[in-house]
Amino acid sequence: MDRFAAFKWQALFTDWRIFVDGLGRTASTAGLALLLSLGLGVLFGMLATSPYRSGRSVSRLYVSLIQNTPLVTQIFFLYYALPHLDVVLPTPVVGILGLGFYHGAYMAEVFRAGIQAIHRGQLEAGLSQGFTYAQTMRYVILPQAAEIVLPPMTNQAVALIKNSSILAMISGGDLMFQADSWSASTGYYGPAYLTVWLIYFSLCFPLARLAKHWEEKSARSRSGEVKAA
Amino acid sequence: MKRVLGLMLSAAFLLSVLAGCGGASKSSDSGSSGTLPAQVQKIKDRGVLKVGVKVDVPKFGYKDAAKNTHEGVEIDLAKRIAKEIIGDESKIELVGVNAKTRGPALDNGEIDLVIATFTITEERKKSWNFSDPYFVDNVGFLVKKDSGIKSWKDLNGKKIGVAQSASTKKALTEQATKDGIKVEFMEFATYPEIKAALDAGRIDSFSVDQSILWGYKDDTNEFLPEKFAPQEYGVASKKDNTELAKFVNDLLAEMKKSGELDKMFEKWGLK
Repeated sequence: MDRFAAFKWQALFTDWRIFVDGLGRTASTAGLALLLSLGLGVLFGMLATSPYRSGRSVSRLYVSLIQNTPLVTQIFFLYYALPHLDVVLPTPVVGILGLGFYHGAYMAEVFRAGIQAIHRGQLEAGLSQGFTYAQTMRYVILPQAAEIVLPPMTNQAVALIKNSSILAMISGGDLMFQADSWSASTGYYGPAYLTVWLIYFSLCFPLARLAKHWEEKSARSRSGEVKAA
Repeated sequence: MKRVLGLMLSAAFLLSVLAGCGGASKSSDSGSSGTLPAQVQKIKDRGVLKVGVKVDVPKFGYKDAAKNTHEGVEIDLAKRIAKEIIGDESKIELVGVNAKTRGPALDNGEIDLVIATFTITEERKKSWNFSDPYFVDNVGFLVKKDSGIKSWKDLNGKKIGVAQSASTKKALTEQATKDGIKVEFMEFATYPEIKAALDAGRIDSFSVDQSILWGYKDDTNEFLPEKFAPQEYGVASKKDNTELAKFVNDLLAEMKKSGELDKMFEKWGLK
């Protein structure tokens, strides 16, 4: 019996709502987690490049703690361990916090690298004009860093979308979970997994192309600068 | 554009390879009395029967990690089938499966049979052969003692943790509608995860087949008096292995008639 038999596809199309629900949950979770990770990324990226020693240490601690432990252990901690401390976060919140903090650590590294890529003279020029450190960051450094960080940031967004499928392990109601659940009950796993594979691909591939496009554009404009100088 | 095209082509190639693995081998001879059907003979010639079993369900299919041995009534049944086909009950290879892996493992040919608390449903019968039921179980409810939940109706508005194989979910949804209560479901891939969710207070009731629940009963939890939705367990085989399916079903019928099957279940305190 063919695992991609027509009647299995038919069953999938009859139950299409289940998959759309899953996609909605994946999109909302990934979207909010992305915002959180961007916020954390900017904050810790700035701390990592700040003149204050304690700020740099805090940033380094956060980044190493998160980057050196698997995402699944962090999600399980939020989902299974916190309730024993009387903190019961709803499953969607576990997803947003877990993914947001995980990718925030990578975003912090992206922003740190972006800020450090701006010549030190820019910071000194800003300060000498009477700007405070924060103002120099806000009006001089970050706008220039934005162009550099855009491609790696987008790549992080792609990774975040893919990693959101880990919610399937905690009954998260996301796209992967719905596919798992539906195929376990019907046994029609062929169409289910192929369909979500295609959906994830069509979400991530355009983003990855965009990142590549920006990267090439930014490389071109920077090599132009060199020539002009 | 060219690159996109190339990518799509390689994806299409990948899919065709995947689909191709499902190729069926048609057997010719169904055999007369005395000789085995071709599909069964093939297993005999190979000298080993490969069976997918549970490893986390005490009394049914359980793997003792310390002794590295499988035990349970479904293991006994698997051995009995091996004895019938090959003539030696030790000529058996047991593969641990769960609700998600047992179907694909059959389709891939990794195993010949699944004997793993596999509930027979109409949808599943379209994908695999099922024998007549060898055991009927009910869905039970395990709740925390300090939850104050004393009956099924107390679960109104509560969360029920079920295994990712929604025969439970479907049956309980129907029962809830009938009794005019509302329940919410959370699904997990493995039983230990449901137990962890119960302990963490993420769910109010752990509801799967009662035989499975016994393995998770401890001092902190208790059963509700109700049990619903009879679940019939069958021996499953790949859809085109019809001869093997018939062979197993005939053997089961014989064992039922002679009382051998009952004895097998009594040995494990199941009836």
